[in-house]
Formats: sequence, C-alpha cells, structure tokens
Amino acid sequence: MTFAVRRFLPVAVIAVAVLFPLVSGPYPLAVAQSILIYMALAVSWDMLLRSGQISFGIAGFFGIGAYAAAITTLTVRASPIISILLAGACSAGVAFLLGFVILRLRKVYFAITTLALAEIFRVIVHNWGDFTGGPEGLVLPSLIFKGDSRALFWISLGGVLLACGLSALFQRSRLRFALTAIRNNEVSARSSGIDIFKYLMIVFVTSSFIQGIVGGIQVQLYGYASPDSVFDANYTLLPLAMALLGGIYSTPGPVLGAVLLGVAAEYLKLKIPYGHLVVYGIIIVLVILLLPDGLYGQYRRSVRDRARMARGGTAHA
Amino acid sequence: MRIVVTRPRVGPGRMWQVVLWTALAAAGTAAVLLWKPTALVYGVQRAGLYAAVAIPMALVLGIVHIVNLAHGELMMVAAYLAYFAARLLGLDPFVALVPVALVMAVLGLALYQVTIRHSLKAPELNQLILTFGLGIALSQMVNLLFTSQSWKLSLDYVSASATVGNISFGVFDFVYAGAAIALALGLRLFLTRTRLGKAALAVGQNPRGAAIVGIDVGRTYAFVFALAVGLIGAVGSIFLAKQAIFPLVGGPYTMKSFCLVAMAGVGNIVGILYCSLALGLSESIINSIRGYAGWSNVVFFAIIIVTILVRSFRERKA
Amino acid sequence: MPDLETFGLTRHFGGLVAVNNVSFTLDCGEILGVIGPNGAGKTTFINLVSGIYAPSSGRIHFKGRDITGLPAHKRAQMGISRTFQIIHPLENLDVLENVMLGFIFSRRMGLKEARRSAEALCGSLGLGDLSRDVSQITMLETKKMEIAHALASGPSILFLDEVMAGLNVDETREIVQLVQRVTRERNIGVGVVEHVMSVIRDLTHRVIVLEAGEIIAAGPYEEVAKNPGVIAAYLGGAA
Repeated sequence: MTFAVRRFLPVAVIAVAVLFPLVSGPYPLAVAQSILIYMALAVSWDMLLRSGQISFGIAGFFGIGAYAAAITTLTVRASPIISILLAGACSAGVAFLLGFVILRLRKVYFAITTLALAEIFRVIVHNWGDFTGGPEGLVLPSLIFKGDSRALFWISLGGVLLACGLSALFQRSRLRFALTAIRNNEVSARSSGIDIFKYLMIVFVTSSFIQGIVGGIQVQLYGYASPDSVFDANYTLLPLAMALLGGIYSTPGPVLGAVLLGVAAEYLKLKIPYGHLVVYGIIIVLVILLLPDGLYGQYRRSVRDRARMARGGTAHA
Repeated sequence: MRIVVTRPRVGPGRMWQVVLWTALAAAGTAAVLLWKPTALVYGVQRAGLYAAVAIPMALVLGIVHIVNLAHGELMMVAAYLAYFAARLLGLDPFVALVPVALVMAVLGLALYQVTIRHSLKAPELNQLILTFGLGIALSQMVNLLFTSQSWKLSLDYVSASATVGNISFGVFDFVYAGAAIALALGLRLFLTRTRLGKAALAVGQNPRGAAIVGIDVGRTYAFVFALAVGLIGAVGSIFLAKQAIFPLVGGPYTMKSFCLVAMAGVGNIVGILYCSLALGLSESIINSIRGYAGWSNVVFFAIIIVTILVRSFRERKA
Repeated sequence: MPDLETFGLTRHFGGLVAVNNVSFTLDCGEILGVIGPNGAGKTTFINLVSGIYAPSSGRIHFKGRDITGLPAHKRAQMGISRTFQIIHPLENLDVLENVMLGFIFSRRMGLKEARRSAEALCGSLGLGDLSRDVSQITMLETKKMEIAHALASGPSILFLDEVMAGLNVDETREIVQLVQRVTRERNIGVGVVEHVMSVIRDLTHRVIVLEAGEIIAAGPYEEVAKNPGVIAAYLGGAA
C-alpha cells in the first residue's frame, strides 16, 4: 500500500462512516450503531493488551460508566453529553484507585482479578439499592437527541473516534516503546529506565476511561441501566473476539474485527438464535490456535516479510 | 529408575506462623460457634464444595502450569451429563459419578490434544484467552441445546438433617467436604507414592529436567489434564445431587477456585483446604447477617485483594 | 569519594545466601573485573547494583548519594546501566528501536532526537542495517546492540554480564577494544563479569573474586591469578 493511500484510507473510512446514516435504512443503521459500541470497546481492550496485560473486565468499567451517566442524569440533571464525560471520568477514577492494588499483579493473576471485577461491581450495584436503584435498575427520563437514530449513530461513532484517536496517539508516541518493552521483558524494560507502574497506570486508566465513555453512551441510547444489563459478560466477550480476529496490537485490527464479527453475528442471529455466542467462543479458540496475529496482523507480517526480502540486506531506515 | 522428589522443609520461622494461624483459626471458629452456630456448619460445607472444585484446578496449574478458565464450565458439563444419566438411565448421581468422570476424562483428553497442547509453547496470554474461549463455547453450547432454564433433581437423601442441641442443619453438604478431603489425600498419595504421580510432580517442578531423565512430558501433561477434568467431572456429578444447574452455573466457581489456588500458593493442595475454610466461613457469616446477605459473593474478591497486598508488602523487590 | 560504592551488600533467597557482605568501589574511568566460579553470585551482584533486586542488608552509594532504596528504572535514569547474560532483545522492536529505549526513557529525549542519537551510537559501534528484526542479527551484532542499549541511557557506571560469551577470538578482541574506547571516551566506570581470563587480563585495571557470594580476593589480575584461594575456588579443593 503506498504512502498516499495509507494516509488517505482512514479519512475515507471516516467519511463513509459519517455519511452512512444519511443513506442507510433503519435496520442496517441499528446494526451498525451496535457494532460501533463494541468496536470502541475492542480498541480499548487492545490498548491495555499492548502492555502485556489481559483484562477480562471490560464489562466492569463499561457498567460503571453506564451507571455514572444514569445517576448523574437523574440526580444532578446533567445534560447527556456531560453525563457521558462524567461516566468516562468515573470509570477512569475507579481504575486509578484500583490500579494501585491490582497493577502489582501480572498475567494470570491480573487477568482473573479483572474477570472478577465485573461480577463484583454488579453485586455492589445490585445491593446498594438506595444509590443505584438495586436490581430493577434506573430509567432515564428521555433518550439522548430524542432517540433520533442518526444522532445515536453519530454519537456512537464519536466514541469510536475517541478510542481510535487515543489508540493511534499511543502508537505514535513513546507509549508504544514503553508498552512493547514492558510486554516483552519487564526486567529489560526497567533497565532501560522505564517506570513500569507509571505506564501501566496510564494505559489502564485510559482504557477504562474509554470503556466508561462507551458505557455512558450506551445508557443514553437505551435510557435504561440495570445490574444485569450493563455488567453483561457480552461486553467483555465480543470486543475480545473482535480484537483477536481483526488483529491485536494495532488500531485497524479491532476495527476490522468488529465489522466482520458484527455483521457475521447479525447474520447468525437470524439463522441460529442464541447460537451466535457459541460462535464467538469458537472463534476465540480458532484464532488463538491458528491465526494469533489476527487478520490485520497476518497482513502486516506478510508486508514486512516481502519488504525484507526485497531489501535483501541493504540499509533502509 | 527411582524418582526422588524433594520438597522444601518448613523452617523455624514458618513454624511460628503455622502455630499463630492455627490459634487464630481455632479462636475464630470458637467465636463463630458461639455466635452463629449454623453459620459455622454451612461455612464448613461451603468450604468443602469450594475446595473440592479448586483442587483439580490446582493440579493442572501446578503440573501443566496453565490456568484453566473453562474449569467451572467443565464442572457444569459434567453436572448436565449426570443429570441425563439420572433422568434417562435412572442412575443416582453417586452411582453415575464413575461413568461421568470417565466420560469427562476422555473429553478433557480430547480438549487437551486438540487445543491446549498447541498453545503451550505460545505466550501465557494465549493459553488464558484460549481457555476463556473454550469456557464460553461450552456454556453457550449448553445454553443453545438446553436453554438457560435451571434444572434440579429431587432426591430424598439430600434433605437429611441433624439436630445438635437446639439447632438443626442439613448434613448432606458435608459430602463436599468429604470429597475435598478424599481428593486432597488421594492426590497426595498418588503424587508421592506412585511412579506416575512422582513423574507428574517432577514434570511440574522442572519439565526440562524431567525430559532429560526420560519422562515423556507431553504424555504427562495430557494425562494430568485428563485426570483433572475427570476429577472435576466427579465433583460435578455430586454437585448435581443437590444443586440446581444452568449453563452459567460454573462461572463463579472458576473465579473462587482460582482465588483459593492463588491464596494457597501453587502446588499447595493441603493449603487449599485451609483457605477454603477461610472463604467458606467468611461467606457464610456475611450471609447470615440480615440485610447484607447479597454481599457474600464479594468476599472472595476482598480476599484476593488482601492476599495481593500482603504478598507484595512481604516481597518488596526494588 | 568513589563514584560507586557498596557497603556490606547481602542478599538472601529463603535459606540461600547469594551475595554475602560485599563491599567494593568503582570509579569512572576504571575497568573492574568480577570473576568467580559458576554460582558465585556474580549475576545476583549485578542485579543488586542495577536495582533488580533489593538487598537484604547493606547499602549502595552512587556519587555520594544513598541509592539503596531506589527502583531499577530510577537507577538507569541516574546513570547505572548493565547488559544481560541471557539476552532478551525486545521483539516487536527492531534493532534501532531497542537502542532508542535508553535515550527515550533514561535521557527523556523526544522520539526524533532519540532516533538520531541511536543511529549515531550504533554507527560508532559498527552496527548497521538497523531496521532489521532482532532475530536476524548475528551474535556479535547482538552483543553490540546490548552494549548500545546500555549506553543509550548515558550511564556513568556500566556492568557487562558475560558479554563475551559465544564470541570467537576475533570478535572478542573487537568487543574488548570497543569497551576500552567507550570507557575512555565517556569516562565511565565499567564492571566486567567474565569467564574468559585473557579478556580480564587485557581489559581490566583490577579484579575482585567472588565465591559463594563473598569476595575472597581483590587486586590486579596478576596477583589475583596466583592467589591459592582463588585457584582452589575454580579448581575445587580446600579453599
């Protein structure tokens, strides 16, 4: 892919996305909007993965964001946009506090602790009825933008652009160096002068911030939040499968995976109701075994190998 | 060829810790006994269930060195198998225990050979995600085939109860504690007295060293994994006798098992028994406090956090 | 005042004492050899100095400042670097990016400046074709990359952990000359852990000998090589 095309492609894709609601019928629009939610989550999950830490707790921070948005809308009459920003801030804050404890963990221990997070938050929200409305959940007085489906799409797209923007920023900055070094060998990274805790915290908080924002968007779209609906394991499962299939350690990978899996899932839902979730599990297994780099990763690898062979040893910065 | 396996000795410093913790535990137990006797009973019973479920996971973690996130789901599958054995073949779960365990062992072997074996050389992350995916696939398949409705057997003997003093309580659930102890003892004997078990221990401690002395590491991993799945299958069958089963029933058990394994430390099967008591009793006590019963499911998480903090303060690496 | 000084540095692992009461000094411009039989605690010793392990007791002073409690990344930023015996060059980063790390994180440069500095540093060490993957470079180039990676942090103290391992005679000589040049040009204090005695003889100003975690001899190589305790430590027999 030439340089010009590479620069132009994201712009073209964004343009298509922005124009999409103007030309699409209601059903594809609804599907696309739902895909965008998962896409943003998939990108945010990948950002943390780049540091070598797997989180199984996307649903946890998503749910916190959803509740933060709902509660601020109901109690202090925050405007929907403000409530979404507060949702992000709230998730980020919780991640920041939790991070001091759980970022000491590595690998398995960190992963399982995050797996427990969603369940813990759900139980807390479920039991703290006075504050959170308990098991019945909270109902918002109105939907954002009066539920106009095009506006809903655009705001979901906003969430995706935020996620992708932050992800691309991380990839261009010293954060990419830090996270890659940490992921590969922590002792080596520390000897290079990298403060591991600081960088893990940065990416953990950012990732959770995005998840909170998306949770806030979701609750404004649906006007309803309950412990079981927002801390649903699907908000962890689907983004994971999407990022894996599309290609981890990149921004385009999760985007690609979200589109592919999202469309495939819609199709499957029609054919086998409830069967699509099995497919997600199987896809995760297959990708890990057969295509661990994901589709985009595989593409990137073949480009690199071809370039290397063409170069045949000559210096090329 | 003799296989000699060394175990670390308990030094004098550790002795004091053991004495201290035992004293605290005894005091705590006495206190609970006086205050809420039923909480003690149910706590022990819960502890037994958690320990019985956790021990097979510890076996896999200690020897094959992978965390099986599909652990709870495998128990669930076994419970469903036992259910069908009961409904279609009229087999009591304790009778079906053996065939179900065998079927599960075969399933475990198949899963290992087809999927897990290939990911052992890959980064740890891959194995984690792989077993996570397997767990999802299993629970959703069951959901697809049998719906999310919960099923239950109604057996007479599960409602057996006893009366001590002026409190009465169900006694069936002690069977879990019995199973846990049997598992712990049985595995201990197997791992230290039999050739196969000692080979497995050697592989767990040092795979390369074991390979050098001629132990087939790959076959050992496959065997241990199949054994563990067979054992969790047995536990699943017993589980069915009294508990309701539904596709997602396994999830919390995966997490709590891991909590116990993490608390006890890798390879410490007997430690799991003690830690399960801590978990079971804490949950049971919280459960008996009126108005706070729903919080009992958070206990294991609090325990994990505390364990992390204590361990990291003790370790203090630069 | 010596640039790097330790006082009674000790480290246990459970019941095993890996480093026992080690006190030594190192000044900028000096090359110190650290020798001893396998398992003597040499790598643990480097880990203590670079901050990967915290000592069980004892203190470390660097340029007059007590750094005993300082974490590894801070020590790297302050000017203590080391190479690794078992090299884990960071994959997913090419050769140049590996070297850039020290410039970015220890010297807090921006990416462009770090890239330029890393290119210059690699050039001065004779390392070319920097966009290669770390799996594609030769053994000699890997060693040079390791040294470059350590130098990128701008250290005043550098520890080389068995950097000659796996090199042939010519390659070893090249690295020896490189280390001498770098020590002179940058005025750094270098600690060289080695098994190849000819390297120790040619490269170092003085030597300390570790056995079972303790220093059993110190002084110029010629003296130390004749010390019966040192000979016994290497060959076995009563120490």
